[in-house]
Amino acid sequence: MAKTIMAVDDSASMRQMVNFTLTSAGYVVVEACDGADAIAKVDSQPIDLFITDLNMPNKDGLQLTRELRAHASHRFTPIVLLTTESQPEKKMEGKAAGATGWIVKPFQPEQLLMVVKKVCPC
Amino acid sequence: MDLVAIQKQMRVSFLVEAADLLVELDSSLLELESQPDNADLLNRVFRAIHTIKGSGATAGFKEMAAFTHHVEELFDEARVGHLHLTSEMIDLALAACDLIGTLLKTDAPASHAEQCNDIIARLAKHLPHGTAAAAEASTAKAEEVAGAQIYQIHFKPNESVFFSGTDPLSLLEELGDLGSCEVKADFSELPPLDGLNPEQCYIAWDIQLISDHPISKVKEVFMFVEDESEIRIDHKSLKENEACEEKGDESFRIFMDGVDQCIGALNVFVPQIQAPGVAAEGVLKNCLRTMRILVTASLTQDCTELKVIAESQILLLEPAVTSAEAMTEGFKQELADNQKKLVALQQELRKRTASPVPSASNEPAVEPRKSEGADTATTNSIRVDQDKLDRLMRVVGELLIARNAFPIIAHKVSVEHQLTGLGNELKQAGNSISHIADELQATVMAIRMMPVRSVFQRFPRMVRDMSRALGKDVDLKIEGEDTELDKTVIERIGDPLVHLVRNSVDHGLELPDERESQGKPRMGTVNLRAFNQGGLVIIEVRDDGKGMDPAKLKRHAVKKGVITEEYAATLSEQQALELIFMPGFSTADKVTDISGRGVGMDVVRNNIRQLKGTVTLQSVMGHGSKVTIELPTSLMVSRGILVNDANEEYILPMENVLELVKLPKQRIHRHAGSCFAQIRNDVYPVMRLSERLGASSSGEDEEVVSVVLLQLERSRVGVAVDRFLSEVEVIVKPLTGDFERVREFQGATIMGDGRVVLVINPNTLFKN
Repeated sequence: MAKTIMAVDDSASMRQMVNFTLTSAGYVVVEACDGADAIAKVDSQPIDLFITDLNMPNKDGLQLTRELRAHASHRFTPIVLLTTESQPEKKMEGKAAGATGWIVKPFQPEQLLMVVKKVCPC
Repeated sequence: MDLVAIQKQMRVSFLVEAADLLVELDSSLLELESQPDNADLLNRVFRAIHTIKGSGATAGFKEMAAFTHHVEELFDEARVGHLHLTSEMIDLALAACDLIGTLLKTDAPASHAEQCNDIIARLAKHLPHGTAAAAEASTAKAEEVAGAQIYQIHFKPNESVFFSGTDPLSLLEELGDLGSCEVKADFSELPPLDGLNPEQCYIAWDIQLISDHPISKVKEVFMFVEDESEIRIDHKSLKENEACEEKGDESFRIFMDGVDQCIGALNVFVPQIQAPGVAAEGVLKNCLRTMRILVTASLTQDCTELKVIAESQILLLEPAVTSAEAMTEGFKQELADNQKKLVALQQELRKRTASPVPSASNEPAVEPRKSEGADTATTNSIRVDQDKLDRLMRVVGELLIARNAFPIIAHKVSVEHQLTGLGNELKQAGNSISHIADELQATVMAIRMMPVRSVFQRFPRMVRDMSRALGKDVDLKIEGEDTELDKTVIERIGDPLVHLVRNSVDHGLELPDERESQGKPRMGTVNLRAFNQGGLVIIEVRDDGKGMDPAKLKRHAVKKGVITEEYAATLSEQQALELIFMPGFSTADKVTDISGRGVGMDVVRNNIRQLKGTVTLQSVMGHGSKVTIELPTSLMVSRGILVNDANEEYILPMENVLELVKLPKQRIHRHAGSCFAQIRNDVYPVMRLSERLGASSSGEDEEVVSVVLLQLERSRVGVAVDRFLSEVEVIVKPLTGDFERVREFQGATIMGDGRVVLVINPNTLFKN
């Protein structure tokens, strides 16, 4: 079965890019517009990978990561953070919160696919 | 959609998004001016700028993103309390936003460089200290040159590696993709079973990898775990020493630029820290950040000297950031000494740059901007909240129903009140409203229509991956990607189609050798086709594989206990094929990875049925199978036949109605408590609608019986009613609350005159 990936970002164009890229690679993509939305949607289907932005209203990426790690079904699910180059500390914080890896913005669709395949092989 | 197209698409969407964000920024900034300490507002402004920068850079607006970075920094500092926003800063930010807007519209962002630099310079005046982040971009790597190399890798993940969502085995597999791999597991730290925590990783691995890839590629495998795992990578290669020179001057120059910027910034920070008293936290943090960048940069060039110095500085600085006590004179001295070493190293590295290298540049100087056409496309699309669209849809639906009142009232006026002239006028007014309503409906539906491309586009990749995994040659032919369907249908048709295509490739198509021996081309074909037909959208999934064997299907169904042997014997070939739609039936002998994980065809049929569609199956042994899905183009309006039975009105959905017939009473025969009628060459069971619903029959004993012939899932049935009334357009509203469980009705609809009429669900009500 195709893997399902939840893309969490408050930027619609970012979500769209992630969605299109992953869908064209055969993944199923569920979108959420911030951390709270992601938590609200997390139980409605099995998710094999989360890709989340850090800076978001309502619930940011770090808090989302912590809550997912505390969630019975997602203790071991890969979580990839979208960071910007100005936040190296955030990577460390993300790691501490339980993130699997990160993609530095700006990134090309190929880079996204590379990281996704790495942490969530088909 | 290929990746280039995705980026183009992203550019278009980003422009729309950015325009919204800039408008929002304008008003937020003005609000912020009157309440500069409002944290929520500040965060909102920061996030908007941050999104413009991050998404914009990803969408390819490099100059704009680089510029926006400086604006972001101002608000980042304000957000963490390092500076207090003044009106002057807000003015500057507003001017910056205007410039961002200009940069997004122009085809030549470079021509605005002067304006950008002006604002950047003015912004810099407000920032507490120099900025180090710019140097980071220059840590970008150029590809290293490498021949075949032998890597000795030791990898011991952190014990709690699983809690970061990392699977160490997948990393080993990734190494395997780079070349030939020999992996030895080290179980020495594995505790006895009673002390073992299954959620911890106790195993280390030693890997010998022979690969053409450069060490950066090997390191990349561990990029997410390098900080907390034990990783050693040794490689034997003759070229290693020369690598720095051979890498080409370009990457080294970029590296050097970064180093220069960082050390330049440090030349400012370090004296500040050295000054008597306690240095500001911000300066320390910036210093630390710059050091970390140097460490990253050093890795790109394997420049160990740089790494060692920068790392010792980090060790020094880290305690100082958290506690002022750590800022002793000794600390300051050591910091200064290390800085001197850095500057010395910088000089030495510069000499390396100066060494004669052929200056031929491998890269084109300036990449021309590609997708200029995309920019103009923005004004043609607006984003609309789906809820609004749904609401519009509902309102239009109500209008379609409400218009039905006109003919009724017109009839009343002309017949009951004898005002024929007025009645006609009313009728005409009704007609023109009716036309407008139709057009409105068509337009609203068109808004919701999307081409099936978005669903189909995943299949080429999926089929390719599957055919590799299965060792089959598959040619996927896709037709009719532009065929449009309602958005809701598009969203829900994906899974069933994936299932069908998987079935075709996995179970339908034979292996190449088998095909050849049967005189077929080695390459199998799967056709995925969508087209419009008679107000419906048809999607076909066809393969030229082995087809299905009705006898085998029957045996299988009996074995699975889906049907009895006696029943199986009575089934026609077509009926036997339909067995695969029964719950609990799975055709594969073995459950394979590719398909057949228990999600059966019954689920597919159910999904399609929820979309008010039908699935049919045709198969010829040895020649392949074809699954045909028929879908309504829209879920909004359906048609039905309004009937009256036992003084109640009901609607029978048009998709089930085959025919309306009037039969003389004597043509209906009673046998063993059931009624039957022969209509042309077929015999139909006949039941009375009201009896079926448990209501008392009207007892009317008419000479001619009105019968609606209905197509059910697997059978046909005649339903006797008192009267056929009319064909109606209905918007079915599902029953809610306690009635939700009533499966006999699809829902209810409101008629033109305000009455509520129930819509029958024939498949449930007339089953058996």
